[in-house]
Amino acid sequence: MGLLNFTRDPVPEAVSGDMHNLNQLSAQQFSALTEVLFRFLTEPKEVERFLTQLSDFATMNKISLGPLKNIVKSILLVPNGALKRNLSPEQVRADFIALGLSEEKASYFAEQWKVNSPTLTRLAVGQTLMINQLIDMEWKFGVTAGSSELEKVGSIFLQLKLVIKKGSQLENVYVELTLPQFYSFLHEMERVKTSLESFS
Amino acid sequence: MAALRDTDFGALQILLKAPSKDAVRQLCQECFSSPPAALGPLAQRACPGLAVSAQEAEQLVCALHNLTRHVVYRGLTRAEDILCLFPENFHQNLKNLLTKIILENVSAWRNEAQASQISLPRLVDMDWRVDIKTSSDSIARMAVPTCLLQLKIQEDAALCGNNPVVSALTVELSKETLDTMLEGLGRIRDQLSAVANK
Repeated sequence: MGLLNFTRDPVPEAVSGDMHNLNQLSAQQFSALTEVLFRFLTEPKEVERFLTQLSDFATMNKISLGPLKNIVKSILLVPNGALKRNLSPEQVRADFIALGLSEEKASYFAEQWKVNSPTLTRLAVGQTLMINQLIDMEWKFGVTAGSSELEKVGSIFLQLKLVIKKGSQLENVYVELTLPQFYSFLHEMERVKTSLESFS
Repeated sequence: MAALRDTDFGALQILLKAPSKDAVRQLCQECFSSPPAALGPLAQRACPGLAVSAQEAEQLVCALHNLTRHVVYRGLTRAEDILCLFPENFHQNLKNLLTKIILENVSAWRNEAQASQISLPRLVDMDWRVDIKTSSDSIARMAVPTCLLQLKIQEDAALCGNNPVVSALTVELSKETLDTMLEGLGRIRDQLSAVANK
């Protein structure tokens, strides 16, 4: 097998056997299986649903679930590697052919890859590391009427609660701003927005 | 904040022993700014300059503290209002001097009181930078702009005394988060204008 695009590591032995089995499926069966796979790839949290759909596919097509799961594992190697390496549909097609999948099925899969690529890319970007990500911001503002040191005050205060993701935990940070600080903060955030937009 | 007591005015007359008007002025300022707990040490420092006993110094310092804080609390800004705080038989010249000193300082003292008011941790500074993420373990090539915002937050001044603790918090915002935040801040601005225009 020549150099593959989606990985530099040697591919497990079982993969060529799995590709051979895949070739035995009819075009409709392959198309149905591909649909199940992409639905899982675009919604990776829906593991239960994915397993149920695989099991239904196995039953309907009179295939044992065990071997089917192995086949699916082999197939998924390619899109996972392709996503990490920003591969084109042509490269994905070439890799499947190199692994032993028929040209027809490889082209079909590559086509589906092209269609789903934007969603999958967005998901991968979303998984990228963020430091102390700001999740939510709550606010309230009011007037200080009086205090123990000043009988009548009448000044405006603004309180922000920032919800921050630190590692896997959420932390709340409370901050108080005066009115001038608020306007200055708003002004700075608008400058940030302009800057981010110019790079998008 | 302690209330003004009749005995305070008796103690204030000790100021007649002060070496100069400036000494009185200085003492007034120190007594206002000092928290109640620090009045004892302040009295000890004032003692030698006034040639009085430790006990008298302490009574004086407490009285001055109460008087100045009372004026600021009530928000008195006119000479007449301050003058009528004093009892009938109080020394005329001392009364006028104290009123003059208080009037000179009341606005600065009011700001001081407001600045040291209890509050949630306060924002003292804010910096930002925009980065472009070009690569990660989940995807080899990308060009995603992101914002890093650093907020310097000071803990409640009253809790820290003279050493306010300032912590720096760096937060990352995606473009979507920033847009949502700006929406929220815009709403605050609109509501503030509505309140201001009432």
